[in-house]
Amino acid sequence: MTLGISVPAGLELIKAVQLHKSFGSISVLNGIDLTIKSGEVHAILGENGAGKSTLVKLLSGYENLSSGSISVQPLDSEDAGDLLKRFVWNQKTAEALNVILIHQEFNLIDELTVAENMFLGAERLRHFSVLGLRLLDRSGMDEIASKYLRILKSNIAPSDKVGSLSVAEKQLVEIAKALSKNPRVLILDEPTAVLTEQESRILFTRIKELRSDGVAVVFISHKLEEISALADCVTIIRDGNQVGCYKVSELSKDKMAKLMVGRELSKLFPSIPTPASKSDLAMSVSALEIEGNDSVSFELKKGEVLGFAGLVGSGRSALMEALVGLRRAKRKVVFIKGTKIFIKNLADARSNNITYLTKDRKGSGLFLEKTAAFNFSLFALKQFSHWFLDAKTELKAFLRALNLFDVRVKDLEAGVSRLSGGNQQKLLIAKMLETAPEIIIFDEPTRGIDIGTKGQIYRLLAELTQKGCAIIILSSDMNEIIGLSHRVAVMRGGQLAGILEGEDINNVEIMRYAAGLKKQHSKN
Amino acid sequence: MKPKMKIGARFRRVFAISFLSLVLHAPSFAQTLGVSVPAATHGWAGGLNFHAEKTKSRLESQYPELKIILATASNASEQANDLEDLLTIHQIDALVILPFESAALTGPVRNVKRSGVFVTVVDRGLTDPSIRDFYVAGNNNQMGRVSANYIKGRLDENGKIVILRGMPTVIDEQRFEGFMSVIADTGIEVLDSQYANWNRDDGFTVMQDFLSRFPKIDAVWAQDDDIAIGVIQAVRQARRQDELFVVGGGGMKDIIRRVKGGDKLTPVDVLYPPGMISTAMELTTIKLLADAPIEGEYILSSPLITEQNADDYYFPDSPF
Amino acid sequence: MTLNKKSIGPFIALVLIFLLGVFVNEAFLSSGNLANILARSSFIGIVAIGATFVITAGGIDLSVGSMAAFISGCMIMLMNVLFQSINSIIIVICIAVLASITMGLLAGLINGLLTTKAKIEAFIVTLGTMGIYRSLVTFMADGGTLSLSFTINDVYSSVYYGDFLGIPYPVWVFLGLAVMAYILMNKTIFGRHLFAVGSSEKVSLYSAIDTEKIKILAFMIQGFCVSIATIIYVPRLGSASGQTGVLWELEAIAAVIIGGTALKGGYGRVWGTVAGALILTLIGNILNLTDMVSNYLNGAVQGLIIIAAVVIQQKNGEQVKS
Repeated sequence: MTLGISVPAGLELIKAVQLHKSFGSISVLNGIDLTIKSGEVHAILGENGAGKSTLVKLLSGYENLSSGSISVQPLDSEDAGDLLKRFVWNQKTAEALNVILIHQEFNLIDELTVAENMFLGAERLRHFSVLGLRLLDRSGMDEIASKYLRILKSNIAPSDKVGSLSVAEKQLVEIAKALSKNPRVLILDEPTAVLTEQESRILFTRIKELRSDGVAVVFISHKLEEISALADCVTIIRDGNQVGCYKVSELSKDKMAKLMVGRELSKLFPSIPTPASKSDLAMSVSALEIEGNDSVSFELKKGEVLGFAGLVGSGRSALMEALVGLRRAKRKVVFIKGTKIFIKNLADARSNNITYLTKDRKGSGLFLEKTAAFNFSLFALKQFSHWFLDAKTELKAFLRALNLFDVRVKDLEAGVSRLSGGNQQKLLIAKMLETAPEIIIFDEPTRGIDIGTKGQIYRLLAELTQKGCAIIILSSDMNEIIGLSHRVAVMRGGQLAGILEGEDINNVEIMRYAAGLKKQHSKN
Repeated sequence: MKPKMKIGARFRRVFAISFLSLVLHAPSFAQTLGVSVPAATHGWAGGLNFHAEKTKSRLESQYPELKIILATASNASEQANDLEDLLTIHQIDALVILPFESAALTGPVRNVKRSGVFVTVVDRGLTDPSIRDFYVAGNNNQMGRVSANYIKGRLDENGKIVILRGMPTVIDEQRFEGFMSVIADTGIEVLDSQYANWNRDDGFTVMQDFLSRFPKIDAVWAQDDDIAIGVIQAVRQARRQDELFVVGGGGMKDIIRRVKGGDKLTPVDVLYPPGMISTAMELTTIKLLADAPIEGEYILSSPLITEQNADDYYFPDSPF
Repeated sequence: MTLNKKSIGPFIALVLIFLLGVFVNEAFLSSGNLANILARSSFIGIVAIGATFVITAGGIDLSVGSMAAFISGCMIMLMNVLFQSINSIIIVICIAVLASITMGLLAGLINGLLTTKAKIEAFIVTLGTMGIYRSLVTFMADGGTLSLSFTINDVYSSVYYGDFLGIPYPVWVFLGLAVMAYILMNKTIFGRHLFAVGSSEKVSLYSAIDTEKIKILAFMIQGFCVSIATIIYVPRLGSASGQTGVLWELEAIAAVIIGGTALKGGYGRVWGTVAGALILTLIGNILNLTDMVSNYLNGAVQGLIIIAAVVIQQKNGEQVKS
């Protein structure tokens, strides 16, 4: 099925020249040149804060240029002769010329249906009116919505409530919504940040189909594998400057990383010595069962990193939340240093030196409106209080933590929503580690974070194990799991499919367990 | 299929018959009187409800064939709903109503009247007086004048007074106009007047501020006994009880007790009897049961209550 | 923290309104009037201090005015009954005071449990309890007024009318409660947790905070404050009726918001609330001290000044931010 757009491949749809953007005195982009061609996937690569999002906002008219020019191929293809003509460039003209941006944060309303979301603000009305009011053409909208959902090979129904969809499905809705506007240029801002590898692969298949229909796809990423797998060319930016535009086929991943970071990358994953087989157990979970799932059991040694892999929805987070008392567990038998412990809530977990770092740092990890200092000390408040809070020790600990975890906070009075994702994550780590826990559960610790900060977090993990901490890491980034873990537990459908060790820890083997092709029978 | 349907039909007939007999058993000569009054949101209305309840039980035991439905409402629209219920559910034959607001309830009362119900309006007249069959009311204008005459006499037509008004409503306006018409040509100066919302706490605060503001006050017209209670406390706090006196209104037992005891601060009170609802209910009942010629207006006067006659107006078991 | 630039807004508004009072009538500055204002604002002020906790925790309590009326009524009935068997008036009053505090805490606990355990919106819960308390007191008073026996009130009235160092007792109570509330809110773990719960319940849960406990405690503090306000309200007029405390809930909420506490929760300012309560009382006082404004327009002037006070408060906050 095609979109009914007939654009010859290789046509220059957008030509951007010397784009500059500054907010006040801060310059974000300094002279970016970009040519977007039909039937081509154009990746934009850069570290967090390099200016990728700003660039696509300029391209789609959401931000005004400070200087430079953007020219767009006129709609009428017969007019191709007078090519790139200048426009007053804003979001409206961009949409009129079928340049559509899908934001990193979804613009969907959970309470509305898929179709209602797709037509939000552009509702279709029936041709007749009742009491002077024209009624919504629901069936018409549902029909169109399902047409685009079919193009995306999705079985989401137009009448589904968006709130009931998974993240990946929500993204498909966003794409369907964009398709309904007949895009010639479809811009995706970090579409895979919230997806699992499998979901990402499905998305890439859809993108490739769009490409063969002649759509120009621009997508932002800092994941090198994705770019080599999908993109035709890549524009790399670093600190707002254009490093260059390259054909992906001519660029190795190593080269790409080097160009993006601007320095030789030291080895991303630090080596973490495997704990001796006789080293002490940090924790032994002999039964952990949540409603509807089988009981799970595993052990964790001091100084060990136990990875939890699995597809999204495999129940890893739910399991860990049940372990630390954030969720109801049907059965929970946990031993620490040989003693049975009872964890009714997170406070119990804390007093047993167990801590859990949520993957949802914006929704459950940090108070976005509150200052960094407020966020930092909340979990460890007892350490700063003897009858009354001791503001001095609190401040001292805060400043020490900022330094230790390299959290960069420009305005100490401002809410942490202004911090970059990496700094938010480091602040969350500082918050949860202030109580000096011995068992630390990291849930997606590097999601949406640039490679430099990732390295920092990995090194921190290594340091923690050297101090004797035991670490559980949940991640949908397979490389992260493989690069860090001593053992890997693979979950599938709420059950522990198997625990892999040594040579078995590799992509293929993990996927086999995650996809249900293989299963261990022995517990542990 | 067929037999089942038959059984169903028979059942229905049985039901219909038993229902019919129920209706027939009810005494055909019974009369229903609906009474609709504002809820007891302040002292005077509390007295009103007290008297209405008391009269209801007395009349019902006196006339077994009479049924009285008492409905209290806390705002005008609630009262309009009550009227609909009285008419459709209780099928009243006569209505005694003290309307929350004159204008807002004129339409609803007119509807009741159209169904052939005898309508007695109490205290607050409707915008269209032709609706009512009978009218029982206190005399707000007279109440103001009686108060003013007393103050005029005590002050020898000369002095400074302050006024605490109720709420901006018709009743308050009538009282105020009556009062001002009497003192208009005297040497009495009204220093200021403020609303105290027929409320003790507001009476207290407003009077406190009057006392701070005016070094010399000869008399206070509080026009309502709830307000007067607040005023008295404020005056006592400022230790200025020897300099002035307070004239309230209504006939609250606490104030009448003071009058009876010869309190210099509250030498008199002016009656505005919440018992007027009893008068209205009794007369309407007589109309209903005996078809006596009851029509026109029945205006209760607002006499001055003094130390001498206070006993006649003292009801210790009334909440008001 | 007491007076940083961010929280100075309501105090600027307070000073401006105070100057207006001075300008309107010289009697404004008399010590008697100032004492009246302070004593008067202590009711709303004390209730509003409690409301600051509830609102900071992301809740709202509409039942405070009715609760005050109900507790007043119970106190009066209790004292009248006790007086028949106990000779010492002081003991009677003490028992009533303890009963009042118990009832306040209990009423708060009920509101808190209904919002947390039964998971009903605070707005609905307290709207319900508001109606219940209001009609209970009307019922207890037979629609009229409950009056405290004169003998008891002669003794008890000194709680409202008496003074220490020339400042009425209610003001001392108000001040003492404000200091305690400030410390509780800004210097303790509880206070910090209160901000957290009001800011985001989910993040609070993930920070090992017992959100339900915090919310229930906030409602109980509100109940406690209402009972304290009641204890100093009853001796003023020695009576309670269905009209006692009408609209206190709105005045208290207004005082809290004028004071700079966020209505959506997550941020509370005790001293701002104190200023807010004073502002509200001052407006009423100034209107009584002047006849420049038609009586019919009092409400409009009040509304305007409240809005202006909030504008001043917020403008000030913004300037500091940028």
